[in-house]
Amino acid sequence: MNSPLRYTPDTSALEAQQCFHCGEAVRPGDDFAVEIEGQLQPMCCPGCRAVASLIAGSGMGRFYTQRTSFNERPAEPVADENQREFKVYDDPALLDRFSSVLADGRREARLLIGGVTCAACTWLIESSLLRAAGIDGASLNLAQSRLDLSFDPQKIPISEIFARIQALGYRAQPWHSSAQRDQMQSEYRRDLRRLAVAGIGMMQVGMFAIALHAGDLQGIAREYEQLLRAVSLLVTAFVVWFSARGFFEAAWRHLRQRTLVMDLPVALAIGLAFGASAWATLAQRGEVYFDSVVMFTFLLLLARFVEKRLRLRDSLAWQDAELTLPDAVRVRAGDDWELRPRSGIGAGERLMLRSGDTVPLDGQVVAGESAVREDSFSGESLPRRVGPGDSVFAGTLNEGASIEIESTGSYAESRLAALQRSINSARLAKPALASLADRVASVFISVVLLATAITALVWWQIDAERALWVALSVLVISCPCALSLATPASLANSAAMLRRLGVIVYGENALESLAASRDFVFDKTGTLTTGAFRIEQTVKLGSISDRSELLALAAELQRHANHPIASAFSAFETRADIDGVHPVVGAGVEGYWQGRRLRIGSENFCRELAPDLPAHPETPLLWIALVAEGEALAWIGMVDEVRSEAEALIRHLGSQNLRCELLTGDSSERARALGADLAFDRVAIGQSPEDKLQRVVELQAAGAVVTMIGDGLNDAPVLQRADASIAVAGATDLARAQADFVIERGDLEQIARLQRCARRTRAVILQNFSWAIAYNLIGIPAAAMGWIPPWAAALGMSASSLLVVANAARLRYERG
Amino acid sequence: MESLYLLIPVALVFCAVAIRLLLWAIDSGQYEDLDKESWRILNDEEDAESTRRAVRSGSGSTEDEAP
Repeated sequence: MNSPLRYTPDTSALEAQQCFHCGEAVRPGDDFAVEIEGQLQPMCCPGCRAVASLIAGSGMGRFYTQRTSFNERPAEPVADENQREFKVYDDPALLDRFSSVLADGRREARLLIGGVTCAACTWLIESSLLRAAGIDGASLNLAQSRLDLSFDPQKIPISEIFARIQALGYRAQPWHSSAQRDQMQSEYRRDLRRLAVAGIGMMQVGMFAIALHAGDLQGIAREYEQLLRAVSLLVTAFVVWFSARGFFEAAWRHLRQRTLVMDLPVALAIGLAFGASAWATLAQRGEVYFDSVVMFTFLLLLARFVEKRLRLRDSLAWQDAELTLPDAVRVRAGDDWELRPRSGIGAGERLMLRSGDTVPLDGQVVAGESAVREDSFSGESLPRRVGPGDSVFAGTLNEGASIEIESTGSYAESRLAALQRSINSARLAKPALASLADRVASVFISVVLLATAITALVWWQIDAERALWVALSVLVISCPCALSLATPASLANSAAMLRRLGVIVYGENALESLAASRDFVFDKTGTLTTGAFRIEQTVKLGSISDRSELLALAAELQRHANHPIASAFSAFETRADIDGVHPVVGAGVEGYWQGRRLRIGSENFCRELAPDLPAHPETPLLWIALVAEGEALAWIGMVDEVRSEAEALIRHLGSQNLRCELLTGDSSERARALGADLAFDRVAIGQSPEDKLQRVVELQAAGAVVTMIGDGLNDAPVLQRADASIAVAGATDLARAQADFVIERGDLEQIARLQRCARRTRAVILQNFSWAIAYNLIGIPAAAMGWIPPWAAALGMSASSLLVVANAARLRYERG
Repeated sequence: MESLYLLIPVALVFCAVAIRLLLWAIDSGQYEDLDKESWRILNDEEDAESTRRAVRSGSGSTEDEAP
């Protein structure tokens, strides 16, 4: 079995070294190692090195031994520039939106911190902030990634605080309250309040019940029995009113919509058992079941609370597409550029985008040429070349040179906002799969009500005096405690087990949907492929026939390019005798070698230098040319690197007769070839986010239960709409927020494991149901005969519940 | 057994006080972040120790005060 969480890398292993900070593979030849707590640790990039040396250098290296998961890979350090970007928050008008001034001039601010993965992160951030002069309070809420600060703006500007958080490798943003987030918090508090009251009430009533049950067996004075019953009634009434209210509300709401849910038998059992006991107390005859009522309420609230908490732990449900946009924008003011908050910018403003900036608003290029990476919309990982007159979209990345754009509208009018709206509407339109528990409940209720009616009728003939009491005891004994615990207890345990394996569960009912799912829809870029490229084939054309020499030339040129393709060459040896290398935006790279001009890049770009360049070979690869002045040297064919486990996963799913579909935004023949290679049942290329959504809707309309596996912004609406959805490692926060499951550490094998676990969970839920029903099959006839005293009912109920909970606990210790 | 008439109301009063306290704690946000607190309670001591060390050696604070 895999070890639960390998957060300290095993450096003795022969496999590629893992970065000590973020856990990604260290490329051979890179050396960014940092000494931490007396030991030299490998790092994968300058970003991780900068963060790790800061942490180790300020005496907080202990963080690494305390954390329970890897950190996020930080952005490359660009210290000064970033600090300037944060300066915009020093603007009092903007600062006022997320902070307030205290009487003594200090300020209280709230920030949203990205990349917080475990409790040790909160310690690291809090203690490093508290060391800074001017900050006198810092408290990071792990569940919400919310940092509450109190600081003196005279001593330390807020921009400095942002910069410090970023230097530790986390992302900071002003906290904007969202309705969804506020609701989650108030629901959490409400659940906890109800649970607390039910717990204390259960202890009190339980104490009185022991006296009453003992009294039943060994005799008790009428007077004291009545006293104990009266106080039990008092406490139970409070618990039912305060804690069990939610069951009644939910049952009534669904009843009005003419659906029978698990809350209905729960509400019936609580209501009737309490009503009968109250009446028995007032009328001074009959049986009381107060202890069963409060215990049932408490157990059920507890199981549901635990299940919900596991599911919503570090939930990203509030993620909004707008959060991916920068807050500060360079705007033309007269002859100069000034940093202004994005929120105040409308149409017709001239904005400056530097290389590496995220486009803040939709707009049109007015000056400069560059390349924008639009994989968020199209799934295409290769950048699109843009020049004056071309449109660029908010949320895409400017990868080439600086450009100036004229904004065409505010955020609400952007394509990104439209994407966010389609996520929201997908959420509303998602078909509700009736959960297993609710389907069982609808049968169960009818059977119990029927049994009660028959019992009452029969006893009416035999002994009219006892008819009411016997009928009531049938209802109480049928108490759906075990039945209603079956699902939440099982789900909570599997969620805990999956988390240990590196899979986070967010979705309600998602495990059930996944177990039932027979259609699996995959995205390509970033999901099946790593997003990186690999050299597949080299075709020699000119005088240089040595492959390694050709690749060395190419590698030296590509070393200067900032393009996804360039990384494919990083593993090859370079040569030092090329000079004057400069990238040409959107075309390729040019340099001088032995007095000749050398180019690598697109067909047209290279043909300018070597007109005799033949057309590229037929094979569906991504072809780039390498030419010298007047001489074509080579065609180099590249493929997207497919994750090594992809093939095994598709084969595994195929062997269970599950349909696998590939929906990709990539419109090249390469995508089709990849789909055929991996033996997908259906491949669709060139799919926009709307097309993908449409396809899933079609499948669902035909009755299929669909699982979607994706990673990008463009997948977010589909992830939301699918019955079960899985976001893979490296997925954007927005995609993670929509998915039911998130797989950390891009291991596609986890999907197979997840699916097995979903099926096993369903099996355990079914076992629990069978047991609960078997218990009722014995209990109801016995009660109908009038054989069950209240203490036996209480005992039976507890025993059956414990059995269900214990059975569910097996899931937690299952091996992955 | 007459003492029950005194003891039971006393128990109920305690019960009410406990509920009030618990609800106050929940409403003031003390149960908001169970994961963090469960981690902190085990690491509190070392935490204080390392802060002291940093303050004594002067490495943390003086360096940080420089802009």
